[in-house]
Amino acid sequence: MANVRRRKDEAAGYLFIGPWLFGFLVLTLLPILASLWLSFTDYDILSPPRWAGLKNFGTMFLADPRYWRSAAATLYYAACAVPLRLGVALGVAMLLNKNRRGVAAFRALYYAPSVVGDSIAVAVMWRQIFGGEGLLNSLLRLAGLPGKRLWLADPRFAIWTLILLAAWQFGSAMLIFLAGLKQIPGELYESASIDGAGPARKFLRITLPMLTPIIFFNLVMQMINGLIVFTPALVITDGKPLDTTNFYALYLYRRAFETFQMGYGSAMAWVLMAAVALLSALVFKSSSRWVFYESESA
Amino acid sequence: MNKRIAAILFLALALSAGAFGQKKVDLKIAWWGSQVRHEATIKVIELYQRLNPNVSITYEFAGFDDYWTKMTTMAAGGQLPDVMQQDYSRIAEWQKRGLLEPLDPFVADRTLKLGGVAKPVLDSGTLDKKLYALSLGSNSYCMMLDVDAFKKAGVPLPAQDWTWADLERIAMQLHAKLGIWGVGGGFEVDELAWKANYLGLGQTMYTPDGKALAYKDDKALVDFLHMMLRLVKAGAAPSYQEYLANLGGATGNVQLDAIVTGKSAIEAVWSNQVITVATAAGAGRNFAVVHLPRHKKGGMASNFMKPSMFFSVTSQSKNKAEAAKFIDFWTNDVEANKILNAERGVPVDASVRAALKEIVSPVVKLGFEYIDRVAKDAAPTPPPEPAGHANIRQNVYVPIIREQVFYGVISPEEAAKQLREKAAAILAGK
Repeated sequence: MANVRRRKDEAAGYLFIGPWLFGFLVLTLLPILASLWLSFTDYDILSPPRWAGLKNFGTMFLADPRYWRSAAATLYYAACAVPLRLGVALGVAMLLNKNRRGVAAFRALYYAPSVVGDSIAVAVMWRQIFGGEGLLNSLLRLAGLPGKRLWLADPRFAIWTLILLAAWQFGSAMLIFLAGLKQIPGELYESASIDGAGPARKFLRITLPMLTPIIFFNLVMQMINGLIVFTPALVITDGKPLDTTNFYALYLYRRAFETFQMGYGSAMAWVLMAAVALLSALVFKSSSRWVFYESESA
Repeated sequence: MNKRIAAILFLALALSAGAFGQKKVDLKIAWWGSQVRHEATIKVIELYQRLNPNVSITYEFAGFDDYWTKMTTMAAGGQLPDVMQQDYSRIAEWQKRGLLEPLDPFVADRTLKLGGVAKPVLDSGTLDKKLYALSLGSNSYCMMLDVDAFKKAGVPLPAQDWTWADLERIAMQLHAKLGIWGVGGGFEVDELAWKANYLGLGQTMYTPDGKALAYKDDKALVDFLHMMLRLVKAGAAPSYQEYLANLGGATGNVQLDAIVTGKSAIEAVWSNQVITVATAAGAGRNFAVVHLPRHKKGGMASNFMKPSMFFSVTSQSKNKAEAAKFIDFWTNDVEANKILNAERGVPVDASVRAALKEIVSPVVKLGFEYIDRVAKDAAPTPPPEPAGHANIRQNVYVPIIREQVFYGVISPEEAAKQLREKAAAILAGK
């Protein structure tokens, strides 16, 4: 009797997750497996795939300097943009954590850039700001500086326009930090004050350690986002100049959908997935050394 | 009373039979192009629907690169439109994959009337002895000149058989007199620095079978790149940085084009694009169109006559005859071609061309007259680019020749050598 009931419950459960399960199997898992197979083929979409063994991977690692340039650009971007974005997010979250009048409006205001986030409109605006005749150069000239640098076409600076964009879009990380800050018991700060701790000390000894689970979560999420960055490089810099902003996902897209080397694109995608998984695993592994959960005994 | 009701019913029946007598037809048409082209094409589609109320047309358009991404994915899904715009460099591959429908049956039953179209034009869309694509216009690369700037600088307009050395000298003069760039951005593009450059020597980039490079000596390419570097250094041509950042080089925005904004006086464009550039420049400007420079005065032209683009009926179409009928309208209808304004190149039908010649604006006439001149003075049309060309252009030519040379990372000599090695490897299928 109990068994029947249990089976009925299971059936109902599967029925409820059915639509999602169907979507996952057919629209996600199947294409993923197909791309694994395609990564060992030559496939131009118009004609059927031809088995190519490890050729795509060989070309990628040994004979394509653009591949390594795109990988290096992506790592550089992630290494700069992620800490910067987290830093800004935490800073703003702390400012907005005070209970002042109108703070809700400010929260909405600071979150706005992330709502428009990856949109083309923001990217186009960014082009205008950093263009040769753009806002930044105009401001520089107003301030009496030359203001002649072509930010988007200069191999040293182009990537930094994209990193700045990432830092500006700190909203989602900020919200999560804000929620985390609210969880920290006020008594901790009170007793620290009584013991004579200043703001810097309170931040280093209470806020940061108590926030480490949140920092950890944000770090993993933003790192993954940083490694698969696409839209800003496509719209703002077109991957130029000299491939300094030809990020991995953009280069993958170009190979797959512009020169129709689907096999090569699939191979790139699988290497990207392996790299993201590996880096995430490293971060997880390191977390036991620096992430502090309240449930643990200190 | 009953009689009257019966009569009304009968009338209603007759009316509805009349309305349903013509079968309802859905057509889908796709093209790439600029804003000017989108607007004109949509107007012609609306005209066609007014004249053929049973046909309802949906359409899709995009820029060149996005268009091919879209079409390729649609081909894989069996969703190709009935009529698609095709390009000389891609048509062979699409035909080989069985994605295009031969038009010969429709020519035979006069759905598609091609009496006024010259044979070389038909040949350009003929593969394996069947007509797979109809050229929409004749086209050739050209140098567009800002006549007012030339006058202001007191520099005479170049003759039809001017040379690359003339180009360099004139660009320097224009720069010295006016302080603007002599030539606009992007002259190191493959169509000019590579293809046209070698055509002027009677050579082609690729062998006819598309398995190897045909030209043996890198010198012409190296010399061209050195010339461009000299012009950039002298300030007579924009740097590649300037081209990317300010001239729409990265976005393809014609509004930012140097000749449009008056920052340069010579621009390399396809003859069908002259109208787009002139429109962007606005009224009150005067332009001339001249052949590409050649290697020797009176020597072989660097130009060739190219079908600007084609219309093809796809094999996935469910309304092939109706699709052919639309192409017929496009080719032979004078009203439609008045709207199109030769923006896809000089019309291929002789009577349409004659009718248009009388009424077109001076700018469009520039293109007509230029094509007449090129028809008499051109290099032989090279074979269509092989399948690996897109890969070579995007992943070898642009990063090495356009970027690394003009950012000063490598020398033209080294770049030409790398281009040769890498292109050869791709063509050989390695």
